[in-house]
Amino acid sequence: MAQTNLLSIVVFLPVVGAIAAAFFPGTEPKQHKALTLVVTLATFAASLGLWFGFDASPGAAEFQFEVHVPWIPALGVSYHVGLDGVALLLVMLTTALTPIVVLSAWNAIHERVKEFMIAILVLETAMLGSFAALDLILFYVFWEGVLIPMYLLIGIWGSDNRLYATVKFFIYTFVASVLMLVAIIYVGAKAGGTFDYPQIRQALDVSVSTQRWLFLAFAVAFAVKVPMFPFHTWLPDAHTEAPTAGSVILAGVLLKMGTFGFFRYALPLFPEAALHYRPLVATLAVIGIVYGALMCLVQKDMKRLVAYSSVSHMGFVMLGLMALTAEGLTGGVYQMLNHGVSTGALFLLVGVLYERRHTRLISEYGGVARQVPWIATAFVVVTLSSIGLPGTNGFVGEFLILSGTWLAKLLHAQWFSAIGATGVILGAVYMLLLVERVFFGALSNEKNRLLPDLSLREWFVVTPLVVLIVAMGFMPQPFLDPARPSVDRLLSRFATVEQRLRDQDPGRAPTTGTQPPALAGRE
Amino acid sequence: MTGLSPIDVVAMLPVAVLVAGALVLLMSEVFLTSGRRGFMAGLTVATALLAALAALLAPAPGRVFAGQAVVDGFSVFVTVTVCGGLALTALIGAPWLHARDAERGEFYALALFAASGMSLLASAADLLVAFIAIEVMSLSTYALAAYMRRGRKPAEAAFKYFLLGAFSSALLLYGTALIYGVTGSTLFADFARGSGSLFVIGVGLVGAGLAFKIAAVPFQMWTPDVYEGAPTPVTAFMAAGVKTAAFAVLVRVALAVWGGAAEGSVRFGAVVAVLAVLTMLFGNLLAVPQRSVKRMLAYSSIAHAGYLLVGVVSAGAAGARESALSSVLFYLAAYTATVIGAFAVVGAVERTEVRSEPADTWDLSRLAGLSRRRPGLAFVMTVFMLSLAGIPPTAGFVGKFLIFKAAINAQAYGLAIVGVLTSALGAYYYLRVVVYMYMRAPEAGEEGVLTLGPALSVALAASAVAVVILGIGPGPITDLARAASMLGQ
Repeated sequence: MAQTNLLSIVVFLPVVGAIAAAFFPGTEPKQHKALTLVVTLATFAASLGLWFGFDASPGAAEFQFEVHVPWIPALGVSYHVGLDGVALLLVMLTTALTPIVVLSAWNAIHERVKEFMIAILVLETAMLGSFAALDLILFYVFWEGVLIPMYLLIGIWGSDNRLYATVKFFIYTFVASVLMLVAIIYVGAKAGGTFDYPQIRQALDVSVSTQRWLFLAFAVAFAVKVPMFPFHTWLPDAHTEAPTAGSVILAGVLLKMGTFGFFRYALPLFPEAALHYRPLVATLAVIGIVYGALMCLVQKDMKRLVAYSSVSHMGFVMLGLMALTAEGLTGGVYQMLNHGVSTGALFLLVGVLYERRHTRLISEYGGVARQVPWIATAFVVVTLSSIGLPGTNGFVGEFLILSGTWLAKLLHAQWFSAIGATGVILGAVYMLLLVERVFFGALSNEKNRLLPDLSLREWFVVTPLVVLIVAMGFMPQPFLDPARPSVDRLLSRFATVEQRLRDQDPGRAPTTGTQPPALAGRE
Repeated sequence: MTGLSPIDVVAMLPVAVLVAGALVLLMSEVFLTSGRRGFMAGLTVATALLAALAALLAPAPGRVFAGQAVVDGFSVFVTVTVCGGLALTALIGAPWLHARDAERGEFYALALFAASGMSLLASAADLLVAFIAIEVMSLSTYALAAYMRRGRKPAEAAFKYFLLGAFSSALLLYGTALIYGVTGSTLFADFARGSGSLFVIGVGLVGAGLAFKIAAVPFQMWTPDVYEGAPTPVTAFMAAGVKTAAFAVLVRVALAVWGGAAEGSVRFGAVVAVLAVLTMLFGNLLAVPQRSVKRMLAYSSIAHAGYLLVGVVSAGAAGARESALSSVLFYLAAYTATVIGAFAVVGAVERTEVRSEPADTWDLSRLAGLSRRRPGLAFVMTVFMLSLAGIPPTAGFVGKFLIFKAAINAQAYGLAIVGVLTSALGAYYYLRVVVYMYMRAPEAGEEGVLTLGPALSVALAASAVAVVILGIGPGPITDLARAASMLGQ
C-alpha cells in the first residue's frame, strides 16, 4: 500500500502542507517557516524511499511506482504517475533542493511569510507532478500549475523591476505552452481517445509532415522553458528580479522541466520529426552555449551573470540530447543534475552576499575573501564545478556531452563539439573573472569591511550542495545508473525508426548511435 | 393544436415555479409593512433551487406542445445552470442593493421573470416560442439594467440595451417571417424543407438576432457600455444567464439548419467559424487596454462567446456533435460560476455612492492591495481570473480543453489554434488583476476594511468551490453534459 502510493505521497505531501499552513495565522511567521521546513524535509525523506526502491537493472520495468486510476474516464484522462530513471533523478533533485531553498529564505523574506511558504509548497507539488505524470493532460496541468506560484514568487517578493519580469515570464511560458495543448489534444485524438503516455507512444501513427508540426508545438513549449536561444530573453529578467529562493528553484528545477520534456515527450513521441529538426536544434544549442557565455563576460550584475551562464549550460544539455548517442544523452541527463546543484548553489551564495550588502553589482564588492573566507571557499568550489574542473560533477557531464557529440553520427558533429567546447573555455574565463573581481585583490569598498561570514543556518544551506558537487564528481556511477535504462530505451527507439527509414530509403546513412570507436567504456 | 395535456404542463413546471416565485415577490412588496426585505433574496434562492429540482426530477418527455418545445437533457442542463446563476445573483444582489438603499421586491421578481424566459428558451423548438421566450427574458433584463435609474451611465446603458435589443428582436421576427414564407412552418424541425435565397436570408436574420444576445462580432457593440452601466449584479446575471440561454437556442437552430440538407448549410458553418474567430480576436484584443475591470469583463464575455461559438461550429461536423455539445454545456456551466463570482468581487469593491459616479468606480486601482485588505476576497478573485484565463486546475481550463478537443475532433484545427493563442492573450489582462491585488500597495485612502455580508460570502465561496471542483474533478459534470448532449429533436 505504502509502496504503491509512495510516489503520490511524495508528490502531494507539499500541497497538503500548504493546505495545513492556510489554517495557521499569518501573524506567526516562525510557525510557517518551521512547518514548511518540516514538510519539505519529510517529502525529501519519503523520496529517499523512491531512490532506494528503484530498480535500475536492465530487465526492470520502465516506469516504476506506477499508479493508474481513471480521472475523467469519458475523456480518456487518467491519473497515471510513474518514474523512469531520469524522472527519478529530477524528483530527487527537487525534493533535495526545496528544503535548502526554504532554509535560505529564512531571514530574507520579511513580508507575507505565510503566502511565500505556501507558494513554495504548491510549487514543489507542481514540479514533482510534472516529472511524475504519465498522462499528457495530467502533465499539462502540472506544467501550467508551476507558472502560478512562480509568477507570485517573482511578482510579490522580487526586486524593483519585478512586475515587468514576472509578466514577461508568465506570458512567454504560457503562450509557448498553449500550442502544446493543441498538439496534446490532437495526439490524444489520433491515438484513439486516450492521453495515457505509454499507450500513445505505442499507438501514435501520424504522417511525417504532421509529426513535424506536432514536434514543433512540443519543442517550442520546452525550448522556452529550457530556455534555448532565441527564446531565452525572459530568463535574465526573471532570474535577476526573483528573490533568491525563486532564482534557485527556477534555475535548479524549472529549467530542467524543458530538457526533461524533450527527453520524455518530444524525442520519443516524434522520432522522425526529431531527426529532421536535429541539426536545427543542435545549432541553436551551440549558439546558446557561446552566446550565453559571451553575454556573461559583460554583465555587471552577479545574478544576471549567473542567469546567462544558465543559458550556456542548458545549451550543453540540449547539445547532449541532440547527439543521440549513449554518451551524449547520459551526459545531458547528468548535466541537468549538475546545473541544478551548481547553479542553485551559485544563486544561493549570491543571495548570501545580497542579504549582507543589498546589492548584486560586482563593482560593489572586491577583495571580500579576507572578510568572508568561508563564503569565498564555497563560491570557489561551486565555480570550479560550474566550469567543469575534473573532480567536480561539472566535468563528468561536460566531458560526456562533448565526447558524445564528437562521436555522434550527425553531420558536422565534430564542429558542434568543438564550438561547444569553446563554451567551456569561456565559462572558465567569466566565472574566474567573477571570483577574482568579487573575492580577491585588495578590499576596495569600505562597506565590505565588516561583512559577517556564514552563519550556522547558511552552513546548513551550503554544505549539502558542496558535498553533492564533490560526491557527484568522484562517484558519478550511482547517479548515472538510474538514467541508463531510459537512455538505452530512447536509443533503441531511434534505432528502430532508423531501420524503418533505411528500409524505405536504402541509401540513407545512419544518424543515431555512437560512431566507432567508442571512447566511453560502455559495452 | 388541441388543449393542454398533463404532460405538457408537467414539462413546463420549472418555468411555472419561477413565474410563481416572481408573482409572490411582487405581491409581497405590496403588502410589505416593515422595511425589512432580507427574506426576498432567500425566497428567490429557494425558488431557483425549487425550479432546478423540478427540472431535474420531472420526467423529460421530449417533444411537448405539438413539437413547439422540447424538454430533454439539454434543456434540463441549461435550466439548472440558469437557476444556479439566478441563485448566485440573488445572493450577491441583496447586499449590493442594500448598501445603496435600493432593495425592492421588483428586482428579484424581474430576475425571476427573466430566468423563466431563459428556461423556456432552453426548450424552444419553434421560432415563435423562441421569440416569446427571448422577449420575456429581454424585457426583464432591460428593466433590470435600468434598475438604478439615478445617474447617467445606467440610463445610457438601459436605453442602449433596449434600443439595440428591440432592433435584434425585429431582425429575429423578420427572419422568422421569411422562413415561414418558404417552409410554411416555424418549427426548427422543418428547416430541412427550406431552400432558396429567401430561406438563407431568413436564417441569416435569425442568426443575427441571436448573435446580438450572445454578443458575437459584429453585433457586440452594445456589450461594454451596457455591462458597465448596468448594476453589477445585473451585469453578472446578463453575462451568465442571457448568454447561457441564448447559446442554448442558438445550438438548436444551428443543428436544425445543419441537420437538414438545406443548400448552403456548409456555408453557414463557414460563416459561423469566421464569426467565432473574429469574436475571439476582437474580445481579447479590446479587453487588453481596459482599465475598468467591469469593462474588461464585458470584452472578455465577448471573447468567451467566441470560444463557445467554436463549440457550436464543431457540433456541425459529423462525429463531433456529442463532444462539441457537451463541451458547450460544460463551458456554459463553468462560465456561469466563474463570471458571477468575478462580478461579485467587482461589486464588493466598487464605491457605494451611485449618484456621483467618479471615473474610477471600477478602475483596476480599486483592487490594488486587496490581498492585504481582504486576503480571502483576493484569493477567490484570483481563482476566477485563472478560470477565465483557462489555467489549470480550474473549471475554465477544463471548459477550454473540452471546446478545443471538440474542435480538433471536428478537424477545425485553425479554430483551435486561434482559440489557444487568443486565450494566451487573455492571460495577460486577467493576470493584471492579480498583479494589482497582490503586487501593488493599496492607494491612499483605500486602506479601509471592506465588509462582506454573509450572503455575499456564501455566493463567493459557492462559486469559487464550484470553479475548483469543476476544475479538479470534472468527471460527474462532463458525464451529465454528455448525457444532455443527446438532443430530443
